[in-house]
Amino acid sequence: MDDLAQWLEEGYPQSVRTAYLILGNRADAEDAVQEAFLRAWKFRNALAKESSVRPWLYRVVVNTCNSKLRQEIPRREHHDPEHDLDTTLANNDIADRFAASGDVARALKDLPLHLRVVVVLRYYADLNEREIAIAIGRKPGTVKSRLHEARRRLADHPALRDSTTDANSEEVSG
Amino acid sequence: MTMIDEEVLASALRETADSFDVSSEAAQRILDQMRADEAAPVAGVTRIVRQPGRARHVFMGAAALVVALSVGVPLAVHESTTPRTIVHGAIAKLPPRTTSAGTPLSEQKTTTGTGFIVKVKGTGTQGSSVSPATSEKIESTGTIGVRVASGHVQSAFNKLTSFVTRDDGFVDSSQAVMGSQTHGSFSSGTIVLEVPQASFKLLVAQAQEVGHTTSVTTNSNDVTSQYVNLQARIEASKVSLNQYLKIMTQATSISGILAVQNQINQIQSQIEQDQGQLNVLNHETTYAELTVNVATPGHHIASTSRSGLNKAWHDSVSGFVSGFEWLIRLAGPVIFVLLVLGALYMLGTLAWRNIRRRRI
Repeated sequence: MDDLAQWLEEGYPQSVRTAYLILGNRADAEDAVQEAFLRAWKFRNALAKESSVRPWLYRVVVNTCNSKLRQEIPRREHHDPEHDLDTTLANNDIADRFAASGDVARALKDLPLHLRVVVVLRYYADLNEREIAIAIGRKPGTVKSRLHEARRRLADHPALRDSTTDANSEEVSG
Repeated sequence: MTMIDEEVLASALRETADSFDVSSEAAQRILDQMRADEAAPVAGVTRIVRQPGRARHVFMGAAALVVALSVGVPLAVHESTTPRTIVHGAIAKLPPRTTSAGTPLSEQKTTTGTGFIVKVKGTGTQGSSVSPATSEKIESTGTIGVRVASGHVQSAFNKLTSFVTRDDGFVDSSQAVMGSQTHGSFSSGTIVLEVPQASFKLLVAQAQEVGHTTSVTTNSNDVTSQYVNLQARIEASKVSLNQYLKIMTQATSISGILAVQNQINQIQSQIEQDQGQLNVLNHETTYAELTVNVATPGHHIASTSRSGLNKAWHDSVSGFVSGFEWLIRLAGPVIFVLLVLGALYMLGTLAWRNIRRRRI
């Protein structure tokens, strides 16, 4: 299990950033990843049944994020907006560079959770459709349709109308 | 239909996610905590309780099943094996037991005649050869009718009262009727006597000497197995309760505590019910009850022997009462099984919801 420990250590930064894109808050993302890693370590015996560490670990991270969004965050009395997704980008000194990113961040936050997760796993974590299917516990066909729906909604978002392409001339990559 | 460009989307997500630094110390701190947890493994039950989600629900379900079986199986065995004696329905599944003197313990004697009727109901332990540790719990009933001379009902009552007070018993109730031609004296009456089980037979014999015995009916019912089963069920429930109390001390989440508390409440309720039944049995097996009906010549008291429409009517009522008693007896296990199934269904629903939440 030393391999898993090494993998956790190396995968920590990207896991935090993935959780950040899903949750929209940096502090929540760090909490979620810490909890996810502890759970992954506790249930590491289940890893033997999985073919790949990476999607399995993302599954734990996504489940933890999902749990936080459903149970913990909505009941929280105090909220710290300093580390929110859109606030972080707005406060950045090189705001111009992040102008497009800010638009994407706002559009991403407006996506439903199940669509946001597949977008982040596909276009940030760089998982293919099969790995995403493992990570969210759904069939690859479901992943494909969700990606399609997410891209369509993002294109319809007022902040991203300039970044769109014609769907007829492009296949959803996977 | 328009779609967002994949390259633009991926690039924007990278820039957004990389807008802050992630400390590698945090990762190291988490790994240190993992290894520390691994170095100090928690105990078996504690480890299961602390596990989130499905594992905990499965454990709780299994624990509920164990409790249900530990309580339900003795109950079912008791229902299928306990001998029963239903006096009204004349159903006697109880095999005849004998005392040290060789007299059948479960007996029903009826002597018909005119006059005085004595009804005897006794409960308690019979037979000196039975050891106290395994003493049999016997419930006995009987009816005696006695006829006395006109104007001697009150003196008969006095004699019967002196018998029971001498044997450490007491008069439960008495009722006397004054006849129209008895010139101020009672024409008939009924007295209910409570005596220790050991004095039951003596009292039956003494009651017959008060006057001319017209009928005697006695009936014994062995409730030992019911008593033992109740004791075993209480002990099993207490063991389960202690297990859950231990689990409660280890529970760390609110949902876990609530689930365990729910089980504890159910077990405590079951223990209280069983203890109540045990107390009732204890009381019933401590004292015997003897009902004596006294009558003077020319005043008829309801006879125990019936015929014709009267018998048919009483048989009908007895059958109805027996059926009702059977329904009540059956209702307890059925309700218990339904409660257990309901609890398992709720646990299953919780587990299923938990699994579904994990699928985004």
